[in-house]
Amino acid sequence: MARTVFSSVDKGGLTVAASLTGVAALSPLILSAYGVGVLTQLCAWIALAGSWVAFSGMTGYISLGHAVFFGLGAYIMALGWQQIPIVAILPLAGVAAAALALVVGFPALRVRGPYFVILTLGISEFLKYVVVAIEASLGAGGRLLIDTPDTVVLFYPMLGLALAATAINVWLTRSRLGAALRAIREDETAAATVGVPVTRIKMLAFAVSAVIPAMVGALSVLRSTYFEPMQLFSPTTSFTIVTMAIIGGSDRPAGPILGAAFILFLSELLWARAPQTYMILLGALLIGFVLLAPSGLSGLWARRRSASLKRRAVVGRPA
Amino acid sequence: MAQILSPELLLAALMLASTYALVALGLNLIYGAMRLLNVAHGDLMVLGGYVAWSGFTLLGLSPLLGLFGAMLLAAGLGIACYTLFFKRLVRNTAIAARLEANSLLIFFGVSIILQNLMSLVFTADARSYSYMDTLVQWGSVSIALNRLVILGISAGATVAVLCFLRLSVFGIAIRALIQQRDAASLIGIDADRINIVVFCLGFALAGLAGALISMTESVTPFGGFPFTIAAFVVVILGGLGSLGGAVAGSLLLAFVEVYGVTLTSAAYRSILVYGLFILILFVRPQGLFGRKAN
Repeated sequence: MARTVFSSVDKGGLTVAASLTGVAALSPLILSAYGVGVLTQLCAWIALAGSWVAFSGMTGYISLGHAVFFGLGAYIMALGWQQIPIVAILPLAGVAAAALALVVGFPALRVRGPYFVILTLGISEFLKYVVVAIEASLGAGGRLLIDTPDTVVLFYPMLGLALAATAINVWLTRSRLGAALRAIREDETAAATVGVPVTRIKMLAFAVSAVIPAMVGALSVLRSTYFEPMQLFSPTTSFTIVTMAIIGGSDRPAGPILGAAFILFLSELLWARAPQTYMILLGALLIGFVLLAPSGLSGLWARRRSASLKRRAVVGRPA
Repeated sequence: MAQILSPELLLAALMLASTYALVALGLNLIYGAMRLLNVAHGDLMVLGGYVAWSGFTLLGLSPLLGLFGAMLLAAGLGIACYTLFFKRLVRNTAIAARLEANSLLIFFGVSIILQNLMSLVFTADARSYSYMDTLVQWGSVSIALNRLVILGISAGATVAVLCFLRLSVFGIAIRALIQQRDAASLIGIDADRINIVVFCLGFALAGLAGALISMTESVTPFGGFPFTIAAFVVVILGGLGSLGGAVAGSLLLAFVEVYGVTLTSAAYRSILVYGLFILILFVRPQGLFGRKAN
């Protein structure tokens, strides 16, 4: 599998990725503050959807609880703000989320299918209300973060997280670990029989996919400057992540990027003027993609490319 | 302590249990027969609530008549959903392997569409009306009449559906489908026809539950989600696809909720509900009465 790394298709993809990153990195020089804000948001969603794909897209264990890692990161940032430096809070948030994923994943990953989906949602809601209760007992409904950094300063770490999530997914499409995760998705019992340590690998992937969302949450709360548990642990975050991954396609590293960009574009276009119409369109798109194009935008794109490239593209396509 | 033993609290718990049972039954039917996860269930309830509300405030119809309208509309939506989205999906084996996940996503799409359509039509304002809210004295116990009506109708409807499933040929066919899908098709059960009936029934039960609840609680377009969650909690407590288990699950959840809140505080309500749910899944992953997955 590792031999395909340097095929010409991959070089093409690498060039596209490098130039996209370069354009993104330089864009704050020309864009308005609003533009940088939108771009930061795009990077945040790419990082979130990418992390989700690294676990749920690969293993088929659909997590509806990724908002809990996002919220945990935001909570840690809100607690530590102006007491611990940001560069220390970010890794702390990541480690805390990985630890939470391990604690929760140990019992949760024993159940499959619908049980797992609803359990992750239940755990996320449970912890949301625990945080609400803690904050209420401290006599605070929310926490205001003052003197937060400028959006442009927050943009670069967010870009870094989006790149990291994408890099993890690229690596997973061609590593043994990725092959093992996909084997779990196709047939867990068969995977265990041929020697894949399924429990350990599922736990590892779940923990890894929790780290980046926590850091995104920590940076996001610095942007919004207000921590409110009901909002930051909102299940809507989890649902949006899943929708982006599905519309983009969760089988290819480009999927989360396309999905996040598409939905963010749609929301910028419609959200302010006609929020209901935007949401109705989103719902219709989700249904349409699941029924008619289960491999998402990236799958449609890959199919077009493989039609024109015929033999070559088959090499780089995951099973 | 005297408060804990009061008959009012017992009635409140029973009332909540009966609505939970009704809500969960519809969800469980569709999951059991077709392995489809209807996350739009709560939104169908909200729709039922709006039907009852509009019937009462705009046409002056009694909500007891309005609930038939709610059931009809929901059942119609069920037929539309099934023929538009799921008929092909259930048959297509390539996608059927990930049927549960896909059904969840499709129903999520349906849920978003329903919520926002209702928000466009009925605005985001909370809608409520008062109907039969006089207090009934029964010895030392006093209870609002509409709550008694809700208790009676939901318990009656739950028992009626359970009887339909046990006694009628159609009901037995549905249960056969829940137990052994392939075997049921082999002995000549028309799965396609049963699927439509199950969709109608499941959706109609959600509409009915929503219309009933609108008598005591206000209706908002985005208020369905907590009901969906409660329904899932009940169904998973009882075991997905286990119809009797869902009744037991609804009793358990309602009693924990009502008595737990009385013993602690209303602020801990959600923590109790989700805590119980997580605990049971950790200890018994297949639910209290669920059969072990093979």
